[in-house]
Amino acid sequence: MSLLSVKDLRVEFKTPDGVVKAVAGVSFDLNAGETLALVGESGSGKSVTNLAYMGLLPKAKTTITGSAILQTEAGPVELIGIDAERLRSIRGKEIAMIFQDPMSALHPYYTIGDQLIEAHQVHNQVDKKVSRDRAVELLTMVGVANPEERLAAYPHQFSGGMRQRVMIAMALMNDPKVLIADEPTTALDVTVQAQILKLIRDLQEKFSMAVILITHDLGVVAGAADRVNVMYGGRLVESAGVNELFEKPMMPYTDGLLDSVPRMDKGHGKRLRAIPGQPPSLITLGDGCAFAARCTRKDELPTGRCDVSPELKEVKPGHLVRCHLYDSKGVTK
Amino acid sequence: MNGLWAYIGRRLGITLLILLAVSFTVYVIFSLLPYDPASLTCGKSCNDPGIIEANRVRLGYDKPFWEQYWIFLVGLVAGRTFGEGQAEIFCAAPSFGYSFLQHACVTDLIADAIPVTIFLAVGALILWLIVGVGLGMIAARYRGKIWDTLSTAFVLVGTSLPTFLTGLVLIVFLVIKVDWSPFPAGGYTAPDEDFGGWLLSMVLPWITLAFAYSAIYTRFVRSQVLEISTEDYIRTAKAKGLEERKVLFKHTMRAALAPIVTMAGLDFAGLLGGAILTEAVFNLPGMGRLSLNAVVDIDLPVIVATTILAAAIVVVINMILDIVYAFLDPRVRV
Amino acid sequence: MLKGKKSLKLALASVTAAALAGVALTGCAPANAGGTLTYLTNSEAWTHADPQRNYTGMHIAWFGSYMHRTLTAYERAEGAAGSAVVPDLATDTGRASNDNKTWEFTLRDGSTFEDGTPITCEDVKYGVSRTFATDVITDGPTYAIGMLDIPSAEDGSSTYKGPYNTDATNDVAAFDKAVTCSEDHKTITFNLKRSVGDFNYTVTYLSFSPVPKAKDDGDQYDMHPVSSGPYKIKSYKTNDSMVLVRNDKWKADSDPLRKDRAFPDKIVVKFGVAEEVRDQTILADKDKTAVSLDALLPTNLSAVFDDNGEVLEKYKGRAINVYDPYVRYAAVNVSKLNCLPIRQAIYYAKNFQALITLAGGQAFNGDPADGVIKPLMGLDYAETGYATKDADWKPEGNVEKAKALMAQAATECPELHARATDPKRGIVYDIADSETNKKGSAIWIESLAAAGITIKFNFIEPGKYYAVVLDPTKQGDLSAGGWAPDWANASTVIPELFTQEGGFPMSQNWGDPAYAEFKKRSDANLSEPDREKQGKEWAALNKYAMDQMWVIPGTFSKTQEIWGSKIGGAFFWEPQGALSFGDLYLKK
Repeated sequence: MSLLSVKDLRVEFKTPDGVVKAVAGVSFDLNAGETLALVGESGSGKSVTNLAYMGLLPKAKTTITGSAILQTEAGPVELIGIDAERLRSIRGKEIAMIFQDPMSALHPYYTIGDQLIEAHQVHNQVDKKVSRDRAVELLTMVGVANPEERLAAYPHQFSGGMRQRVMIAMALMNDPKVLIADEPTTALDVTVQAQILKLIRDLQEKFSMAVILITHDLGVVAGAADRVNVMYGGRLVESAGVNELFEKPMMPYTDGLLDSVPRMDKGHGKRLRAIPGQPPSLITLGDGCAFAARCTRKDELPTGRCDVSPELKEVKPGHLVRCHLYDSKGVTK
Repeated sequence: MNGLWAYIGRRLGITLLILLAVSFTVYVIFSLLPYDPASLTCGKSCNDPGIIEANRVRLGYDKPFWEQYWIFLVGLVAGRTFGEGQAEIFCAAPSFGYSFLQHACVTDLIADAIPVTIFLAVGALILWLIVGVGLGMIAARYRGKIWDTLSTAFVLVGTSLPTFLTGLVLIVFLVIKVDWSPFPAGGYTAPDEDFGGWLLSMVLPWITLAFAYSAIYTRFVRSQVLEISTEDYIRTAKAKGLEERKVLFKHTMRAALAPIVTMAGLDFAGLLGGAILTEAVFNLPGMGRLSLNAVVDIDLPVIVATTILAAAIVVVINMILDIVYAFLDPRVRV
Repeated sequence: MLKGKKSLKLALASVTAAALAGVALTGCAPANAGGTLTYLTNSEAWTHADPQRNYTGMHIAWFGSYMHRTLTAYERAEGAAGSAVVPDLATDTGRASNDNKTWEFTLRDGSTFEDGTPITCEDVKYGVSRTFATDVITDGPTYAIGMLDIPSAEDGSSTYKGPYNTDATNDVAAFDKAVTCSEDHKTITFNLKRSVGDFNYTVTYLSFSPVPKAKDDGDQYDMHPVSSGPYKIKSYKTNDSMVLVRNDKWKADSDPLRKDRAFPDKIVVKFGVAEEVRDQTILADKDKTAVSLDALLPTNLSAVFDDNGEVLEKYKGRAINVYDPYVRYAAVNVSKLNCLPIRQAIYYAKNFQALITLAGGQAFNGDPADGVIKPLMGLDYAETGYATKDADWKPEGNVEKAKALMAQAATECPELHARATDPKRGIVYDIADSETNKKGSAIWIESLAAAGITIKFNFIEPGKYYAVVLDPTKQGDLSAGGWAPDWANASTVIPELFTQEGGFPMSQNWGDPAYAEFKKRSDANLSEPDREKQGKEWAALNKYAMDQMWVIPGTFSKTQEIWGSKIGGAFFWEPQGALSFGDLYLKK
């Protein structure tokens, strides 16, 4: 049984321009100890998917349907439609999150000690001293020097990489089973990115937790994830083991994403290229293939084919793809 | 902390220089106005140029501008004597001059008026902060719901009703038309004379003054809270599993504190210069009435003094705000 | 923008005053004594409480009733009887000799200041001396300076500079000669530089009140004047209140005028009351023992009076709509508008109706004036044949008549006619800068333009208005003005307005061919001993000035006042143009 099982998750926002179908039926399973990468351009629904079952989307004008079942010690819990107070007790305890910009994600007016201790106190009826010791322990673990002193420092007194370490420490205060890392390295220097990714990986083992790594950058995924889910237009378009995906991407979109990443294994000289075209509008999205407008290989398909949305199919064991190119069987490539 | 004290010292120095510049500017402005201060000292009997001339000499308006300003500054430090013989008057330091229209040293007039305005402003400030911040938070918390709509209606009424009208309506419908009303129809009672009477005399002015400000603060706090709610660190707080109440009262309000304190400080400074309309309708002898009457009667020494004082209050409160800000926002410190 | 002080209204024409609680209070029942009488005013304080600095009728009436006694005073009575002069501190109304150049008053026994010290001649003399300290004792009337036989310095000012001046050049000796005291300190003698037949009216002014030298501290005396009357100041605070309590040193027998009055035990004046609050408090009868010291707000008039200005049933007995002491007009600068037909054309062309409507209507603002003497000044008034008695005059303006006069002017005085009709130049009208005056100017411009006359307005900062128009080098062709007589004699009107020596000489008419005769008759009439004859001549001179159109008449203006339902004894005290403060009592 998987640790977190998301089934047909749908998120709609009512806006003055119309209903935005931000997530249009996403399903995936996360196993204990596994790292699952959610990859896609901004607006693909990868962040919204996670914020939805975490209950962090603004309640007004948002409709969430589907299911997200989390295994806890007390048994499986359905997170969608759950009582707000119950979900709150799960947030930060069972599932923790870290965000893209550690500067803005930390409260500028509180010391990091206050913020770490608070994270612990919320879920544990213990003396502040205990929470404080825990904070020092975790700061040490994430590699903050002089943690005792640094507790009294404010976020602006840390460098970007250090702030993200503090964020990670804060997320791990309660020993979560799942860590959702939403673009954890995007705002950081390239040199720091690798350190943070390594840190997450190390801690994942130490805490034996599952990680959902949300990123737009497949390069980040390479050494970090076990499995990759590629999202486009609010849906999963491809899902495979990390090696499989890098070696044999099926969906032209995944191809495009890979082409926009500098790669050591594919040799030098190849120019990086971006995927042509714009991400689709989530309001006017019709019945047809969402990617058709930007698809480089739609000429290979019979006329009218792209007017129908493809289904997500397992074309190879462990490799799922939502693409008409694989309608018949196997690889046409 | 040494850095902070040095900062405060530096700010004090700058503030003194600004005050000097302000007093000079005010002095220049009033010396440029087309009023002959000497002929303003004698109403109807001033058809006689001899009288005007005598008054000019007595008040020192015959002296060159620089000398007048210097005498004014010296008076501030050492006090000043007006008139001669039996009619001699000494105004002790800090002397802002003598008002021949009110027959009193300007400093004494201000000393009498300023407590009234401070009481009025402080009471109103407390009231409007409670109402404005409270309603603003409620409106933001229940955005789009009935509470939000009601508070929007309150904001609309509060910001569009003139203070004078609010006060008048309160007086007419809570005092004049009600036989058993405990409130006086205006007028001031000193708290050391009769504390209960003072309280009763201040309640309606506080409500009147706080009414408009409450509306402004409701709107301001609502928009601040809504804006801060979209900040990443608020999402972090929620992701930690913090209770919604705590997110609002602790994390959101802590961030909203600095702008609210800044705005309240500036509004408070403005009020210390005198809440003219409220003081007028409730007949409170505060700074507003003092300045207004001085302007109406062209009582130049009082106008100069109240203008300088109002500016000084704003400058000093600004300095205090900057220092408070350093405490409130850790990023400003060091 | 009014000049002048108080009035008297004789042969009262005010119908509304008849509706007053006209209780004749002489020898009134002591049953009416007691209680606290409250006055409400929007002013932040009294303009002045110092007797030598009081000038306006209302202030003189108030302080004269309660605190400051004078050698003589006006009778406390309704109607014409109120304008009679009666003894107050003095035993009689004064004894004149030396062709009215020497006046003698003897003080009553038993009158004292509030500390019990007897009032002596020296105290009255000291009070009078303060008027000469014009740099300290400002705003008061300066009759003492104008009338007492003291030499003038080169600049025209008196050689005596008052009691505060410590210069050796201060001519104290001259003052000591002009005002003398008898050995028993009882009799005061004033030596005047010219004949003043009604000097005993002059001394009704509070500027002739006694002041104890020991208590005088110049400007500050205004905040704590010493009482010689039935009440004394308990407290007085600007922007707050004045409280008067009974003066226990006051001996009723020494003061026949106030003896049977002085009803309330306590009198409170509340300052700074917002105008609407002041009116509403009294209209709703919230404070039944309160009296408004100010005129009723125009917006509240219709609540109290009907369209004809009559008091509505609900407020019968506690409101009046009466003529105030003023005559309002446009002063003519005759030296500039030296062409009678043009002056007359302006008078006929002016749309009186529109101007009065703008100002609140005839019932409240006043009647069209036919001169500068109000009908209330019975002895001195006679119809001049202008305004409503003038067949050619129309309330909305008579364009035809004005045009005919302009045509006449074109031949008689072509130069001024050219200017008056030139749209670029025109006639200049000085007026104080205010919203109402700005609206009024549009009415003037329109109505005069219909007759082909161009009028340009010179709006002047209100505080500087009289400083400008009283300066012949700055005065325009016409200037807005208002005047009230100083006492019940048009000697304080006609010569003041139309002779070069007058106190308000905006007419600049001394170059006019008709001036010489006017001046001769006016001077002669000043020392006319027969009051009836004198009055007839003032009326004739009023018409004379109108015939020369030395002033464009405006209105005989009115005022409205209200008080609480428990107030008794209220009537309009004509000589002061104010309520009978001293006669007010609280109904049981």
